[in-house]
Amino acid sequence: MLALWSLLLPLAGLAGLVHAKSSSGDSVLVVLEPGLPKEDFSVFFSNLKEQGYDLTFRAPKEVTPKVIEDDIPAFAHVILFAPESKAYAADITPQSLVTLLSEKTNLLVAVGPKTTPLTSLASEFSLILPTPNTPLISHFPKRDTPATVIPIEVASNSLLTAGTPPVWFSGVSYALGNNPLLVPILAAPAESFASDSTEDSGADALVDASEKGGEGLWAGSATSVVTGFQTKDGSRVTWVGSVTLFSDEFAHKALPNGKASGNEQFAKDVAAWTFQEKSVLRIESVSHHHVNGTSTPDFYTTNDEIVYSVKVSKYDPKTSSWKPCTCRSDIQLEFTMLDPHVRTTLVADPSDPGSYTASFRAPDRHGVFKFVIDYKRKGWSSLQSSTTVPVVPPRHDGYPRFLSAAWPYYAGAISTSVGFVVFSALFLAGDVRDVKKGKGLKHE
Amino acid sequence: MAPTKSASSSKAAPSSSAIHSLWQAYNDETPDRLKFVDAFLVFIMLSGALQFLYCILVTNFPFNAFLAGFSSTIGQFVLTASLRSQVNSENKDEFKEVSPERAFADFALGSIVLHFFVFNFLG
Repeated sequence: MLALWSLLLPLAGLAGLVHAKSSSGDSVLVVLEPGLPKEDFSVFFSNLKEQGYDLTFRAPKEVTPKVIEDDIPAFAHVILFAPESKAYAADITPQSLVTLLSEKTNLLVAVGPKTTPLTSLASEFSLILPTPNTPLISHFPKRDTPATVIPIEVASNSLLTAGTPPVWFSGVSYALGNNPLLVPILAAPAESFASDSTEDSGADALVDASEKGGEGLWAGSATSVVTGFQTKDGSRVTWVGSVTLFSDEFAHKALPNGKASGNEQFAKDVAAWTFQEKSVLRIESVSHHHVNGTSTPDFYTTNDEIVYSVKVSKYDPKTSSWKPCTCRSDIQLEFTMLDPHVRTTLVADPSDPGSYTASFRAPDRHGVFKFVIDYKRKGWSSLQSSTTVPVVPPRHDGYPRFLSAAWPYYAGAISTSVGFVVFSALFLAGDVRDVKKGKGLKHE
Repeated sequence: MAPTKSASSSKAAPSSSAIHSLWQAYNDETPDRLKFVDAFLVFIMLSGALQFLYCILVTNFPFNAFLAGFSSTIGQFVLTASLRSQVNSENKDEFKEVSPERAFADFALGSIVLHFFVFNFLG
């Protein structure tokens, strides 16, 4: 038995190396509209298959396989490549997509210049789309493609592979609302704009719009073409302004300078973030104790010195496992009763990888407190932890006694008492003497 | 300058002589027992004043110790002052039912109860 295991274990490890999988599951439903044959995206899909994903294809109007049945999602991830479909089967309407997200299914959604139910859903995610049929246009750099097919420089971004070459893009850009859950991935080029015509005949209208400024003008690098959104439940949805970004045509299309485009790598990176391979953190365990102790007490006393530590690990898609992560330096701990009474930085412990420690004095306040970690950073999955502990006042014998500062008071009280005894004794003695004197007088 | 000086000295002279005659009268007319009680009163008063000064100038922490020490002097002062008025032979008409023995017993009992509370509160 043992020999069998020792044989199997390295094999399992090897399999892990080959298959880079998601932290939340491997089943992927690809909803492809009839106008888009899957052969056109073979590079993207075969990369996903190579990574170990299980792809299932389906047209928007087909009924099976169901995405969600009895409120239980059947797939871990859904790719929606249907930028022109106006009608869907009942289980992939915008409402059910929102249900999917709250059930922790990840979505990769491509939208286009046409108005569909998906573009109206996009506005629920704080993406402000331009008027219908106004694709993104750029006349720079000089190239032999139409003005709507644009090579976009990939700005450095922690979600993307560094040094990704420019990617070909042909689709729609959108402005971003101020939703903090948005994760901009790729911005439109600075010289691009949304226009309803590929010719320059409508230029006057654009000039008017730019003079008015603000609404009505989708132009420049403030607009975005690929944007992630991480829900509070931790699921991720990525909105891509163009389905052709993932196509074989663009993956193989050479850039104006003759070099290979970055589409293949970019599509991989976008899928990796969306399917929770990248930037996924979780809290393994939390513990807290007195500075001098090791066991977790049932309660703390006001002004106690407390040590709190948390173990954080990060998903490693290369080995499909969680590795201790000492990669964050800005995780904070709050010691909260209604308001945070203490807010302090959790410092990575160099001797114990993945462990973050904070040591602080409990406030001079009793009540039910909570250790709270609420770590939200753009692009990273959020870390949340809350541990309730009571903080009690000292017991009646828990206060310091006989302080040196109080000696004058002790001396005062003791001297008064001693004075009372001595006074009583002398007073009585004097009384006796007086009585004797009085008696003597009477006798005389 | 000179007249004011003489005026102030002439003013000071009667007041100092008044204090002097008060002191003389006290020395001559007060029985020894009452002088002894007065000495105890002065001792308690000084002790209380010192504790109060320490509280103001140095620290009132721990406050319970200050309260205990200071209130023991106040309480003892009040009890001793009542003892003094009750054993004073000039007040005999006012305390007809209270014999000096009874007055001392009241004083002793009150003081013991007071010190019981003080030492409970002190630590």
